[in-house]
Amino acid sequence: MQSVEELEKQALGEIESAPSTATLRDLEIKYLGKQGLFTGLLRQIGQLSPEEKPTFGQKVNQAKARVQEAIHARQASLKLSERQAQFKKEAIDVTMPARPWRIGREHVLQLTANRIKEVLGGLGFEYFESPELELFKYNFEALNYPPDHPAMDEQDTFYIDDNYLLRTQCTAMQGRILETRKPPLRVFTVGRTFRNEAVDRTHGHTFHQVDCFMVDEGVSMAHLRGVLGQFARSMFGPDVKVRFRPDFFPFVEPGVDFAISCPFCGEENCPVCKGSGWIELGGAGLVHPNILENYGIDTDCYSGFAFGLGIERIPMMAYNVDDLRHFLENDLRFLEQFRP
Amino acid sequence: MKFPYSMLLDYVSTELSAAEAGDLLTMSGFELEVLERLGDEWVLDVKVPSNRGDGLSVLGMAREVLAKEPSARPTELYEMAAKRFPMDDENDEGEVGCLTSVVIETEDCNRYACRLFRGVVDHPTPEWIAKRLELAGQRPISLLVDLTNYVMLELGQPLHAFDMDKLSGHRIVVRKAKKGETLTTLDGKEHELTEDQMMICDAEKPVAAAGIMGGLDTEVTGATQNMLLESAHFLNTSIRRTRKQLGLNTEASYRFERSVDPDGVMAALNRFAMLLTSVDGGASLVRGVIDVYPGKQAPRSIPLRMSRAVKLLGMPVSVDEAKLYLTRLGMNVDGDGEPFAVVPPTWRLDVEREDDLIEDIGRIHGYDRIPETLTQGSVPQGGVLGDYRRIDLMWEAALRCGFDQIISHSLRDKHPLDADCKRIGPRNPSSPDTALLRCSLLPCLADAARRNGGKDLHLFEIGRVFWAADEPKEGRRMAFLSTGSLHPEHWSKSNSPASDFFSLKGALLEVFQSIGVVPEFWPFDPSSGDARWHPTRCAVAKKHDLNLGVIGQIHPDIASPIGLADQTVLAEIDLDAALKVGASKLKYRPVSRNPAVRRDIAILIDKTKPYRLIEQTIEQAGGEVLERHWLFDVYEGSGIPEGSHSLAIALQLRKMGGNLTDEEANQVRDRVVAALESIGANRR
Repeated sequence: MQSVEELEKQALGEIESAPSTATLRDLEIKYLGKQGLFTGLLRQIGQLSPEEKPTFGQKVNQAKARVQEAIHARQASLKLSERQAQFKKEAIDVTMPARPWRIGREHVLQLTANRIKEVLGGLGFEYFESPELELFKYNFEALNYPPDHPAMDEQDTFYIDDNYLLRTQCTAMQGRILETRKPPLRVFTVGRTFRNEAVDRTHGHTFHQVDCFMVDEGVSMAHLRGVLGQFARSMFGPDVKVRFRPDFFPFVEPGVDFAISCPFCGEENCPVCKGSGWIELGGAGLVHPNILENYGIDTDCYSGFAFGLGIERIPMMAYNVDDLRHFLENDLRFLEQFRP
Repeated sequence: MKFPYSMLLDYVSTELSAAEAGDLLTMSGFELEVLERLGDEWVLDVKVPSNRGDGLSVLGMAREVLAKEPSARPTELYEMAAKRFPMDDENDEGEVGCLTSVVIETEDCNRYACRLFRGVVDHPTPEWIAKRLELAGQRPISLLVDLTNYVMLELGQPLHAFDMDKLSGHRIVVRKAKKGETLTTLDGKEHELTEDQMMICDAEKPVAAAGIMGGLDTEVTGATQNMLLESAHFLNTSIRRTRKQLGLNTEASYRFERSVDPDGVMAALNRFAMLLTSVDGGASLVRGVIDVYPGKQAPRSIPLRMSRAVKLLGMPVSVDEAKLYLTRLGMNVDGDGEPFAVVPPTWRLDVEREDDLIEDIGRIHGYDRIPETLTQGSVPQGGVLGDYRRIDLMWEAALRCGFDQIISHSLRDKHPLDADCKRIGPRNPSSPDTALLRCSLLPCLADAARRNGGKDLHLFEIGRVFWAADEPKEGRRMAFLSTGSLHPEHWSKSNSPASDFFSLKGALLEVFQSIGVVPEFWPFDPSSGDARWHPTRCAVAKKHDLNLGVIGQIHPDIASPIGLADQTVLAEIDLDAALKVGASKLKYRPVSRNPAVRRDIAILIDKTKPYRLIEQTIEQAGGEVLERHWLFDVYEGSGIPEGSHSLAIALQLRKMGGNLTDEEANQVRDRVVAALESIGANRR
């Protein structure tokens, strides 16, 4: 009969040299299974003297435990090396090209409009749209343009017929709102405008504007500056300041053009502000009292502000886009460069 | 308005450099556009707002500098100009009345005044005047003409010099042209006149287009000996209308359109007389002035409430400060109370009401002193709401389906994919390529596809389209173009399916469902005459008899000429119609915790039977336990009779609160098959 020590030695030897986890599983059955060799040893217990019996059983069980432990240890180490081999085989070159997902991309003007909608929406302004094919009445008359005044020449207009034109300014939305709603009002639009202008890098016959206005009790130039400041900082960065300069638009009184401190420079030769430190963005002012009165609003109680600006300017400045014409040409090589 | 800085310094005594003066004018509302050094002079070019005709003169610029800059002082010349260059003969007609006469026969002329000069000699223009005119961008011509231009540059009042001896009857009549009359203007062009055009005439005929340009026949020349100098004030809308009709745009008409000081008429005549007699000692000024002034306006007094000024400006300004600013701008301020009265000067026709005065106070006080204040009061709900939000949802759904957004021009040329409708476009297009407004977004998508190579593109656009009904109309559309592989080519070699009618249909369904609309797709009627579509691969999306859009493969005759593959699919949604469809109500259905059972069926059916019918039959027969069903294979060809196809359909069955037995599942399957057989299907 093989001694416990011999069997253990033999088992440990075979475990040590087992080449795979599969062999190890076989060894476990061979030695520790119900029909295994250690169980076989125990069966021989009957041939021992009564004194030897308890210690023999103990010895076998201890040996089994050690063998079991050796199997676990060997299994862990084998598994490790098998995994290592597997991983080596499964190695990929992570620098190889990604498998592309088709993700639709927003147009850069849409991205800009979305940001504007978020910011002005957050300031309590409601989004509206009004026609691009607009009546002369809303584009000029309702906005306090004196009849036959040169102010209209400043916006070379595409006329469709005697009544209809392609709106030259999104401000045309104001009359349509004032006609149907009463103050307090906080309204804005983002839309397309048209001017019969020669096309070059910075001029197009078609471009987009945001136009925003508010009418409430006691609205002042300070509120205009406050909202514009908030808007500009959300759009361009936390340190941006707003500057007003007198300007004339028939629909505001006082009228200003507004500029922001250049968020892109600090340098002398900034390509965006040309070193002036200021970027002119658009027109603004208090809604002309003639307009409010035309729509039956008491100007002793209510006043309002309005501002508008072209939105192409925003990505042009932010990304140094050098040609306005890119925006409506839909070259995907241009469009896919922009992300939210 | 371009002028040499030295001319401003004639009127204002200041230490300001030309650049500083330019900045000051900019912050005053007259933006310095160009500052250039020409020879030894600085020349400023400032943008004058269209309501500030008074700014189109050196005197006007001087007024602004003096109002804004307390350290600047008026010069002697300014003081003379402020008193309107008084001359002792200006209040009666004197001898002039014996030599000529002026009659105004139209309301479009507010004032007409003239002086006469005898024995004028064609001296050379003094060098300093010629130089200043050149710096201001005007070409020196002759002494008399140059002086009229110089005075206009200084004071803003256009003047015109007639050769007195060429005026028939030696008299002036201001009237509307008569039918058939013509006028040859100084530039040599002959104009046929119409009856609403105001003309300066002599006893017989028009001799000048009032306020715009003189006539060739009566212009002053080197031979002129006697001159009639006109200084007048005309209605701005009349000048604007006539100069547009005549196609002329002159320094004079530019000023009259924007407003000229009606009380500056005499000052300009007198300033001219001063300058001419200083150059041409021989020219003798005939004593007296004819001044016909039917349009004299009573001074307007505007009550101003400082409480309103402070409220609107949002910054504190004291009464004294406000009064000082207004006075410096030439306003007459009267009274101490609230309100106090302000009379604007005759050159400030733009000041009509209280808020105009408040603007002047604000801009002189300085807009940089306005603080930033956040709005107060009631805040309505902000953001993108209602239909605008629904459009945003559709837009987002298109992006999620993998379509790239484009935004294109509305003004464009014709295109084979144009919708069949009456087109509109600007009366005054800038070029033939932009003469029409788009009536469909499909041409825009096709152009964009072509620009990007025409292959493997999935594009969409949301925008407006235009057409003519009884009047011009505008509508909102959303359109798609899908061509080629749905995924870019990749080394992993898994085949990417190409887009087709059904991939686009899937996207369209996602887009509609994003706003709670589930459309039905009906075969397109090829007899409709719409030749843009493949006649048997096209459908109309409908809901409750409302046409929501069209989807289909492009007609092969159109595809290749515009650089697109025959398999290209297109769709256009009428957003206005889609938004009219109310969102279907969402209703929660409890989710079963029991396992699902799948049963597949295969049927042979005539190809003309629409799948919609099969679908309805399955759903009816399947009953409550039919959770979902889908078509997973379509086969035709060998073993299938001509005109039929074999469809393999999966049924997913599930019960609430209990497991479906095999037997139950088989029963449902058999029920479905039996129902399909009743509509002509054969079980395979």
